Amino acid sequence: MSNSIYVAIPLMALLAIAQTAILPRVPVLGMVPQLLFLVALAWGLLRGLEQGLLWAFIAGIFVDLFSLTPIGLSSLAYMLAVTPAILLQGVLPPRRYLVAGLAAILATIIYLLVYFIALRFFDLGMSIDTLLEMLPVALLHGILIVPIYALMQAILNLLQPRRVEL
Amino acid sequence: MNMEQTPQRIRWVVLAILIGSAIVLTILDSTGLLDTVVGIVRDPLSAASAITAARTDTTLDLLSGPRDLETANAEIARLQTENETLARENEELTEIQRKYQNLQELFNRASETPAYRRITADVIAYDTNPAVRSLMIDKGRDDGVRVGQPVEGPRGLVGQIYRVSNDAAQVALITETASAIPVRLGDSRATGVLRGGGRGNPPTIDWIDLTTPVEVGELVYTSGLGGKFPPDLVIGRVIDVERNEAELFQSAIVQPATDFNSLETLFVITDFQQVDTSIFEEAP
Repeated sequence: MSNSIYVAIPLMALLAIAQTAILPRVPVLGMVPQLLFLVALAWGLLRGLEQGLLWAFIAGIFVDLFSLTPIGLSSLAYMLAVTPAILLQGVLPPRRYLVAGLAAILATIIYLLVYFIALRFFDLGMSIDTLLEMLPVALLHGILIVPIYALMQAILNLLQPRRVEL
Repeated sequence: MNMEQTPQRIRWVVLAILIGSAIVLTILDSTGLLDTVVGIVRDPLSAASAITAARTDTTLDLLSGPRDLETANAEIARLQTENETLARENEELTEIQRKYQNLQELFNRASETPAYRRITADVIAYDTNPAVRSLMIDKGRDDGVRVGQPVEGPRGLVGQIYRVSNDAAQVALITETASAIPVRLGDSRATGVLRGGGRGNPPTIDWIDLTTPVEVGELVYTSGLGGKFPPDLVIGRVIDVERNEAELFQSAIVQPATDFNSLETLFVITDFQQVDTSIFEEAP
């Protein structure tokens, strides 16, 4: 674990408020993107798997605080989704934004599938049709991850400027 | 020990610990053991969310105001023209319109003297999870809100209280698959159980007697049976009937009267007279 947890908790709390109070009122192309999920994924792509998992865990807790789903379920779905997406960047060509976009699409599909299965255990199941209707959000995430990734990169550079030897 | 394998091992240990924690939390929350802790964390977040939601609504109203006014004026002009044409062509329609106004006045009078105890609540947040739909309101345990209480919107039943903290509560919508409400149809008087179809799917009334003729367009009300919901709350309208002569029961698909995307203020029904079912509890 690292000190990034002290950044992740307040940031995710703020994003959760934005996710519940602002985004549903201004949907993008009729869809509400999962801001917390995208930020966790972007952080994981920048800082590696452990950090991605930690942020996904925290993001999921805040998501479930405002949801019908039991606490922890979204954390589980987010972590299972970001793991292959982050590992994938090691085998893809070093085009950061393209990889981030593909990772977001893959991760979104995985977390929707995890929800699809997990929600059935809690009598909150969704149909295959609903799952298919929600898939376009993966494409939206694939686009939105690019500015989020760039923003996270800028924040990271600000917090940890690259050391230059003269 | 191979030092190169150590970071990888740590990585999988972290994954295992976090996934294990998530599973434990899910199990604990499902059994209700985390309610107090969740309430403590959620209350300040709900308050912040309520303030943010109010500010967002104000900003959006300011941004969309002029356009809405333009649309409304155009709509009024169109309706006026249409109304004049219809009034000239059809006196009977004017008579129906007068009757409708009378009925509306009666309804307004009835709503001024409600038999049920209600408290108003503002919607402060929507469900963060894309797979399920719920709302968060700004009234909680301190205001008398309890789990299971019905929640009503301007057009009809919205759902019921699912979770409560001190200052906020979560409302599970009638469209959720976990929802099951005893209902009655307006014209045929048939009864059944309304089950949510999940996100994107309309709810369905199951267990309607096959011998009862159910028509598309019938209004759907709560029946009050079971005691969890008061009777005669509007839910929606039948849009399709599924009959299979080989089965004992038929089902009906319902279009909810409420538009769940535009709810702002709701009623929580905190007290109502339950249907007396004690007769069924007596020993034979």
